[in-house]
Amino acid sequence: MIAPSELEAPDHKAIDSTKPEPIIALKDIIKSYTMGGVEVLAIRGISLIVERGEFVAIMGTSGSGKSTLMNIVGCLDVPTSGHYRLDGVNIRHLDDLALSRIRNKKIGFVFQGFNLIPRMSAIHNVELPMTYAGVKPAERRKRALVALDMVGLGDRLSHFSSELSGGQQQRVAIARAMCTNPSLILADEPTGNLDSRSSAELMSLFTGLHDQGRTIVMITHEPDIAAYASRVVVLRDGEIVSDRPQGTSSAVSYELSPSGRYSFGDSGVES
Amino acid sequence: MASAFGNLVMAVRGIGSNWLRTLLTMLGVLIGVASVIVLLAIGTGSSQSIEKSIESLGSNTLTVFSGASSSSSSGTKIRNSTLNTASVSALSNSLNDPDVKSVSPVVTTSVTATYNGSSYSTSVIGSTASYLSAENYTVSAGRSISHADVADRAQVIDIGTSVASALFATGSDPLGKQIQLGSSEFTVVGLLASKGSSGLSNQDAVAIAPYTAVQDQLTGESASFSELLVQGKTPATLSLAESEVESTLASLNDTTVANLPFTVIDSASLLSTATSSSKTFTALLGWVAAVSLLVGAIGVMNIMLVTVTERTREIGIRKAIGARRRVILTQFLIESTVISFLGGIFGAFAGILVSHFKIDGVTPVLASYSIPLALGVAVSVGIVAGFYPAHRAASLRPIDALRYE
Repeated sequence: MIAPSELEAPDHKAIDSTKPEPIIALKDIIKSYTMGGVEVLAIRGISLIVERGEFVAIMGTSGSGKSTLMNIVGCLDVPTSGHYRLDGVNIRHLDDLALSRIRNKKIGFVFQGFNLIPRMSAIHNVELPMTYAGVKPAERRKRALVALDMVGLGDRLSHFSSELSGGQQQRVAIARAMCTNPSLILADEPTGNLDSRSSAELMSLFTGLHDQGRTIVMITHEPDIAAYASRVVVLRDGEIVSDRPQGTSSAVSYELSPSGRYSFGDSGVES
Repeated sequence: MASAFGNLVMAVRGIGSNWLRTLLTMLGVLIGVASVIVLLAIGTGSSQSIEKSIESLGSNTLTVFSGASSSSSSGTKIRNSTLNTASVSALSNSLNDPDVKSVSPVVTTSVTATYNGSSYSTSVIGSTASYLSAENYTVSAGRSISHADVADRAQVIDIGTSVASALFATGSDPLGKQIQLGSSEFTVVGLLASKGSSGLSNQDAVAIAPYTAVQDQLTGESASFSELLVQGKTPATLSLAESEVESTLASLNDTTVANLPFTVIDSASLLSTATSSSKTFTALLGWVAAVSLLVGAIGVMNIMLVTVTERTREIGIRKAIGARRRVILTQFLIESTVISFLGGIFGAFAGILVSHFKIDGVTPVLASYSIPLALGVAVSVGIVAGFYPAHRAASLRPIDALRYE
């Protein structure tokens, strides 16, 4: 882990010219909402660096601020204050158009609810981000075929999401996230709606992507899912309370499970 | 940027996902477009038939009515201000009026004609032989009323085809038969060739008799006529004939042309008056139809708002994976335009189909401009009605849209 203090000025071009820039560099991020006239601090000053090729699990109970953090990291939301550089780009003052371009080119999303577009076949769903990126149809089709083949759905190209199981839908979502070759794959509770077998299959896909050198940030509240990651960051009440590396992602077992290493304020998570 | 074709395919798919709702929305536009086309066709059809009927009056006739036109109503002198035989003979004098071909006094009344138990309500025109040629009536069988009939006060009559078919059985010859008009009997001496129905009146529902006989038997003895029909020598010299008629009548009545207690109308001005009023009528019909198109547009807007709400999550997903505002805006605009355009196409077909039927006695004539107009309006309706919902969709924050359940 790199100390947040290494991130200095907001417009600092490179932190260290000899090293490549980190994929994610968050410094003093604060996010507050006004709910019913009352100001709520969802994130109270988070600084975090994620290097290229890392597989980070962000854990925390509901209300810990992990979803808010994920929205900020995913450029779906902007912080109230603080600085955020994604793959060398300061996203602080970007407009709507620039943010959508960043989401399109640099981030691949995998959501808990799969979030495929209904009434569109698997291959069309995978092609969609490339369509928005302006990739030519033939090239789009080729890359979508490769991505779907990689997630093991080469035979389900024209199935609609309603005709696919949850695990299959999530694999389509991974194919969709990968095909634009993003700097970062951002997964929000990817196994939240899946049974344990589908979860294991899905996690082995993530592990494979990580082994290929992809950077993955995954939000989860399940310790056995977090166990696949190379680093676990724990949030509580909008702050990082724990940030530690763990064994290689390929050596997964319950012994490596971080349950018990820390305690959550409210529980249910460990059970 | 997504291709226009891809957007179109996407829009059609979106529409297909809720086809019943979409069909009902399209129906609103369909009815609007069809009614624009049909009502404009009715307007055009009726104005054409009015023009045709006025043209059939003859293009070189003048009608003199007793009564001053509003612009010259200052005269209070009523004396001698009637149209009588003296006026007719003065106007017939070719020295005073070299451009007048004939002058026909006209007495009109409406009576019920009966024959053998059949009856028919018809207008009876009392005039002279020259009336028939001035009004473009021709005799298809028998003979026209003659000057001798007028002088003899003969109870003879020429009847139009509508009168003949109402009173006489098919195949029977009306010539020589005595028909009852009111309390008197007239002998049918001639059949008038059909002039066809017009928007103004059925020109075949007439009977023409000598004015002397009509005055004797039907209207009662009177020295005056309701109008005089003046036929000019040629259409080109009709305005000369008009001023000759006016000055002759002025000198006959001891007054000036400006204070003439009569109104002289030429058929051309009658035509232009009728044309302008029928244009107003057509425009009015168009506006009525436009209201139904507006209702259709509101339907499109309503359904697009529902669609945007229903697909909030989808919009969120699209934005999360990189769709720009313009892409979302275009997607929904195309969707609403496709709905309105399809509604417009079907509406145009429906309108053209309905325009083939006679509606309320009027044969609709498709106005050539109405189809592109209606389709153009339908497409604009789609764009305008779709814009607000599409703008709303495009402005959604991805995070809010994704959270939407």
